[in-house]
Amino acid sequence: MDSLNKLWLSTGLANFELGQVIMMLVGCGLLYLAIARNFEPLLLLPMGFGAILTNIPISGLSEIGGLLHYIYYAGIDTGIFPLLIFMGVGAMTDFGALIANPKTLLLGAAAQFGIFATLFGAIALNMVPGIEFSLKDAAAISIIGGADGPTAIFVASRLAPELLGAIAVAAYSYMAMVPIIQPPIMRALTTVEERKIEMAQLRPVTKIEKIIFPLGVLMMAIFFLPAATPLVGMFCLGNLMRESGVVDRLSSTVQNELINIVTILLGLGVGSKLSAEAFLNVQTLGILALGAVAFSIGTASGVLMAKVMNKFSKIPINPLIGAAGVSAVPMAARVANKVGLEANPHNFLLMHAMGPNVAGVLGSAVAAGILLALVG
Amino acid sequence: MNSMEQQFLEAGTLMLAGMVFVFVFLSLLIIFINTVLAKLSIKFPDPITLNTARSNKKNNKAANGEISPAIVAVISGAVSRYRKQHASSPQKSTK
Repeated sequence: MDSLNKLWLSTGLANFELGQVIMMLVGCGLLYLAIARNFEPLLLLPMGFGAILTNIPISGLSEIGGLLHYIYYAGIDTGIFPLLIFMGVGAMTDFGALIANPKTLLLGAAAQFGIFATLFGAIALNMVPGIEFSLKDAAAISIIGGADGPTAIFVASRLAPELLGAIAVAAYSYMAMVPIIQPPIMRALTTVEERKIEMAQLRPVTKIEKIIFPLGVLMMAIFFLPAATPLVGMFCLGNLMRESGVVDRLSSTVQNELINIVTILLGLGVGSKLSAEAFLNVQTLGILALGAVAFSIGTASGVLMAKVMNKFSKIPINPLIGAAGVSAVPMAARVANKVGLEANPHNFLLMHAMGPNVAGVLGSAVAAGILLALVG
Repeated sequence: MNSMEQQFLEAGTLMLAGMVFVFVFLSLLIIFINTVLAKLSIKFPDPITLNTARSNKKNNKAANGEISPAIVAVISGAVSRYRKQHASSPQKSTK
């Protein structure tokens, strides 16, 4: 009888707590979004599964000695996984459109207003009872507005590890929802005439420019913002591998095998942070709301900046490409292209939108560096 | 309430400093592209002509190698059939 009782106590059924059940359902929700709705499946699938695994009673997967615990501490707590992913993103990024039209860097800068405005919003949310965000928490939440998964995870792991799960979920779900969030804002802020503007063809960019560019970016980060050099450095390393053309094997590994392996581990590690006590609270709701605000403000400020630039520039600039300044590569550029095609079926903005799009990646890495330097 | 005000002040300063810094950093990058990279691109243009010549040569070689045995036979067959068909045509006779 005693052993029967012991057996019963070692089953999951006897040990379930309500929070764990709810978090498993949240994990299933993430799996649903990944599988049925195709929302960033590469990350949400391992993340959702990680959330289920970490909430299994008495298995201790995310306690000391458990697999998820080690994955989290080896890769995310140290910041290694998001930085490796950033290297892969660098190897996938073509700066050609940006070098051909460097003014678009200003659009990438303007869209970062989403980050800093949200910082203000997060502090304002402290007025709601039950929510208490420190300046570090607020900074970590606001980086969702950078629309850049690895950057968000990196900053959150430095500034507010206990909010990491909610921040990663918000960042990746909103990135998947860019095609839903952005177009209404873009249409509301522009006239049909502005959306019809066709842009001049981009000049060809030489190989030497593409090779020197990442080195120049790194040099500037070294001089002005060393706090951003983990992100910028890995990004530039990946980009140099791509553009130098002498290490195709490394470049291909970094943007395929390595990024795939790290994505699995990153997803599981973030999932392990989706425990009931860390996720089921009012703060998570606040983070989800702030994430949407951050994306919207970033989009709006990018579009408005492009409108201003169009007024003062001799060469016409379609304001829609400003929305691509929130990184979310390449989804945001595709959205700009699609909304442009609606107004003018002969207007292909994709290449023009890639400029502000990759500028947004640099912009959010710089913004992350500023937050780490000033708040961390 | 005092700490609340202080936090708002901090967030505001951070917002201002952050935006100014992002703009300055990326503006410097614009200057870098417009000066250093632009000069480099003029000084060291891509060897475009060489590349295309090489690739054309390759293409021709490949194309010749592939076409000659099989497709030439097909084409000559088609031509001879065309000639046969049109041998009795009035056009031919008028010629």
